[in-house]
Amino acid sequence: MKTSIKKIVTAVGATTALMAAGQAAAEIRIGIAGPMTGPVAQYGDMQFSGARMAIEQINANGGVMGEELVAVEYDDVCDPKQAVTVANSMVNEGVRFVIGHLCSSSTQPASDIYEDEGILMITPASTSPEITERGYELVFRTIGLDSMQGPVAANHLASLNPERVAIIHDKQQYGEGIATAVRDTLTDAGVEVAMFEGITAGDKDFSSLVTKLKQADVDYVYYGGYHPELGLILRQADQAGLDATFMGPEGVGNKDINSIAGDAAEGLLVTLPPSFDQKEENQDLVQAFEDKGEDPSGPFVLTSYAAVQLVAEGIEEAGSKDPFDVAEALRAGTFQTPIGTVEYNQAGDMESFEFVVYEWHSDGSKTPVN
Amino acid sequence: MQDLLYFIQQLINGLTIGSTYALIAIGYTMVYGIIGMINFAHGEIYMIGAYTALITITGLTALGIVWLPLILIVALICAMIVSSSMGWAVERVAYRPVRGKHRLIPLISAIGMSIFLQNYVHLAQGSSNIGFPALVEGGFRFGPEDSFQTSISYMQIMIFAVTLVCMTVLSLFISRSRIGRACRAVSQDLGMANLLGIDTNRIISATFVIGAALAAVAGLLLGMYYGSIDPLFGFIAGLKAFTAAVLGGIGSIPGAMLGGLILGVAESMTSGYLSGEYKDVVSFSLLILILLFKPTGLLGKPEVEKI
Amino acid sequence: MAAQNFKHALFSAVVTLIISYPILGFNLVSEGISVQLEGADTFTLVGVFAAAVVVFLFQLFRDTIMGGLGKLPALNPMANRPPMPQRKRLKVESVLLTLMLIGALFWPFIASRGAVDLATLVLIYIMLALGLNVVVGLAGLLDLGYVAFYAVGAYSFALLSQYFGISFWFALPIGALLAALFGLVLGFPVLRLRGDYLAIVTLGFGEIIRILLNNMTNLTGGPNGIGGIPDPTLFGMEFGRRVKEEGNTSFHETFGIAYAGEHKVIFLYLIALVLAVITALVIRRLMRMPVGRAWEALREDEIAAKSLGLSRTAVKLSAFTIGAFFAGFAGTVFASKQGFISPESFVFLESAIILAIVVLGGMGSQMGVILAAIAVTILPELAREFSEYRMLIFGAAMVLMMVWRPQGLLPMRRIHIELKPQG
Repeated sequence: MKTSIKKIVTAVGATTALMAAGQAAAEIRIGIAGPMTGPVAQYGDMQFSGARMAIEQINANGGVMGEELVAVEYDDVCDPKQAVTVANSMVNEGVRFVIGHLCSSSTQPASDIYEDEGILMITPASTSPEITERGYELVFRTIGLDSMQGPVAANHLASLNPERVAIIHDKQQYGEGIATAVRDTLTDAGVEVAMFEGITAGDKDFSSLVTKLKQADVDYVYYGGYHPELGLILRQADQAGLDATFMGPEGVGNKDINSIAGDAAEGLLVTLPPSFDQKEENQDLVQAFEDKGEDPSGPFVLTSYAAVQLVAEGIEEAGSKDPFDVAEALRAGTFQTPIGTVEYNQAGDMESFEFVVYEWHSDGSKTPVN
Repeated sequence: MQDLLYFIQQLINGLTIGSTYALIAIGYTMVYGIIGMINFAHGEIYMIGAYTALITITGLTALGIVWLPLILIVALICAMIVSSSMGWAVERVAYRPVRGKHRLIPLISAIGMSIFLQNYVHLAQGSSNIGFPALVEGGFRFGPEDSFQTSISYMQIMIFAVTLVCMTVLSLFISRSRIGRACRAVSQDLGMANLLGIDTNRIISATFVIGAALAAVAGLLLGMYYGSIDPLFGFIAGLKAFTAAVLGGIGSIPGAMLGGLILGVAESMTSGYLSGEYKDVVSFSLLILILLFKPTGLLGKPEVEKI
Repeated sequence: MAAQNFKHALFSAVVTLIISYPILGFNLVSEGISVQLEGADTFTLVGVFAAAVVVFLFQLFRDTIMGGLGKLPALNPMANRPPMPQRKRLKVESVLLTLMLIGALFWPFIASRGAVDLATLVLIYIMLALGLNVVVGLAGLLDLGYVAFYAVGAYSFALLSQYFGISFWFALPIGALLAALFGLVLGFPVLRLRGDYLAIVTLGFGEIIRILLNNMTNLTGGPNGIGGIPDPTLFGMEFGRRVKEEGNTSFHETFGIAYAGEHKVIFLYLIALVLAVITALVIRRLMRMPVGRAWEALREDEIAAKSLGLSRTAVKLSAFTIGAFFAGFAGTVFASKQGFISPESFVFLESAIILAIVVLGGMGSQMGVILAAIAVTILPELAREFSEYRMLIFGAAMVLMMVWRPQGLLPMRRIHIELKPQG
């Protein structure tokens, strides 16, 4: 954590120094906003490492339109209130392109400010449909939507012929959104949803919830949320002898869930973006990450890389640094990125994005389920 | 039959949580009983106890020690030592210099201390949730094989047993030992106790140390029971324990026990029969109602208004 | 004596080691699927031992050091001077206030956007602290759930604008009145409790409001909060790039100037400034009215006040309601400034910070509270470089202030009327 702080200070310091020099040095500032601290900082690390790598590589290849990309990094702790502060700081810093934020609940309020101030935002991780539903011009993403991921999860559950399914969520935009999508698809498929209940993020005692699940006699439990809570639920369910299979979205697919849940994490089902790092054409990039001692396998590393790349190519394509022109270019063009071919629709969502169901193991590895 | 088993299960869940609340509540109730201040930093001391226990357990495991009772006992002792020292230091640094001032002053000082300690651990250990290894696994099951079974885990039994032992020892200590008698004297009349030759400063320090040691016990037990700890979890637990202390009648040790159990059961019943989202609303509403109709709590002594 | 000092010093040093070494010296790190222990770097370890040595030396020579400190000239040169005569003091204070106000009026035109934004936040805290000052400083009622009324104000504006399209200017009085109503309704049963019990109940109430806001997802959006809260308008002119509401015009088009994000920030700042000044003036007036005297009388001696015929409930209730009213005011401005609110903004820590402002400023003193609000809001921002450490420093500063200057920055002095000497 200490190194990341140093990096911010240097990054911010460098930008201020350059600003003082009358912006003589040609540069394009790219804001990166996500959690560096807090309960989901692991996902933030993926985002920052992917975006930094892209900036590094683009600069090494001569930058964008002959100008260098400079990262301006801010920590929003995945807290909606801090996200607003961060967004305002981005405006103050004169940033015109932002990669972020990570949590949907942060991305949404921040995007209001970006749209208003004419800043282009590409979120590499927020999957809530609402973010692109508001007709904003400058909001894009390099990840799928809950409304795509939910059905994938629900169809998989339905194919397992469950008797009763319980759906639990953490009431946050991401968790509840995806849980609702799962419930709707399951109901349409004629599966009985025995329970649909919210928990409070940050809670630690789930013994009553687990007892309730046991009473409801469910054989599958879908959890919409992040890994700290699901880890505890898995462990406490195991202790209480609840015999059910759990499933969650990509927010739970993290090795930290193993350190909390231990053996209880075995057999957990997770929907994740396909492992981009396994793709043939990305092997050079994977090598570059490994040379830096970083792990490219996290679900948001390459989506963040792609987001920076899209900004760069959008600027080149538009031949202008004006975010509105870049947005137009992004909507018009087709781009080849490590996450595949990207084409945008009017809302700023990718035309297609695939999710795959994995089975999680107690040693932190995962295998695809067919 | 099934409904009854379900009820019993929720009751067991509630009593487990409740008894750990009671352990933390002792610290609040003893301090309030003696110097009449709310020690807001107590929840943080409990959190530090949990961290110390986890550090000790991880360290011992890394050294290759696998005999469970040894690990638990060493972790417990380390946690108690660190927490007690913290309790002692907090009292010396933040509370003793402001004792006897306007009652808001110690309160603000305590809140400041709470923020300080939270961030101290946050900076040293990071802010993410850290998994606490499940050392005690397994348990008993009751009821029919093919439907709902009530289960009570060894961990839950251990929590009951340890709480019971701690409470008994504490009661004996307060009623029999010299320091215990002095504690009671000081809580009745600080000035008079001073005149009678009791070193009141030492007794107040002892109160903080005892409260902190019990909080450390709760930290170890709850860390293992829940499965993860983070620097913020002390604050919420502290608030709950404090509620328990007030519920039972602040200043009364059996009251803290009773308040903790009632609060734990109320929470688990709310989660079990309504929704987990509202368990905190129910516990705080319970607190407000009790204070409105019986302002001194369930077992507290009525205060006489002196003119 | 020396032996005893040595023993105590040694004990203190050992305690310092015990409380810092395990937590700072060993770091728990998640390595893949398990938790590992890592030793801290040498720098930290040296720091831990240095701290223990410092504590040891300080305790060993405590008498000498403390004696030496006592002989030093007082840090505050004003300390030994006799207090200024009241009339002169009032004059100095009012001159200072006028200067501050003038400075505040020109501030947005000389400072950067970020600084103006921060100043708006300072003004919101000033409103909150002035309101809480009535409850805690003047009436002596310990309120730990003040943030609940702040939340009521903010959420009433957010909800009214979301469901009924009500603008800032209508929502401002409604939000404040609703908060006051909450204060009245809560105060009625609760105010017969005394001292700490009152503190606990208000704390519980504050938490209940926050949890309800968090759980009533259908109405309040739960943890996701409410976004898209409109900015205040100036006679139907909006400050955004594009006009959002039918029938409004936009500010930059009306005046034919280029759009700038600053306009909105400056306008909001000026609104907050006007509201803060109104708050200060109203409360200043109230303090001199019989109701203000009654608050203080009740704070000083409840029984004596009762025996003089003051209605305890009515007096307490009035303080509670008025405090809540201004919190509602501040909440509406806050909602409008953020454009987005969620229950996260109304946690207990916020109550504690506002209370710390009141106590730090010197309970009851308006000038002191204003200065403290400025200090408490700006200091953490100045310490952004040490953003990791700022809450740590904030906590430590709260403790140190209470230990060294418990009466606050500018303790309140009661306004009294001097009798002219006879003859």
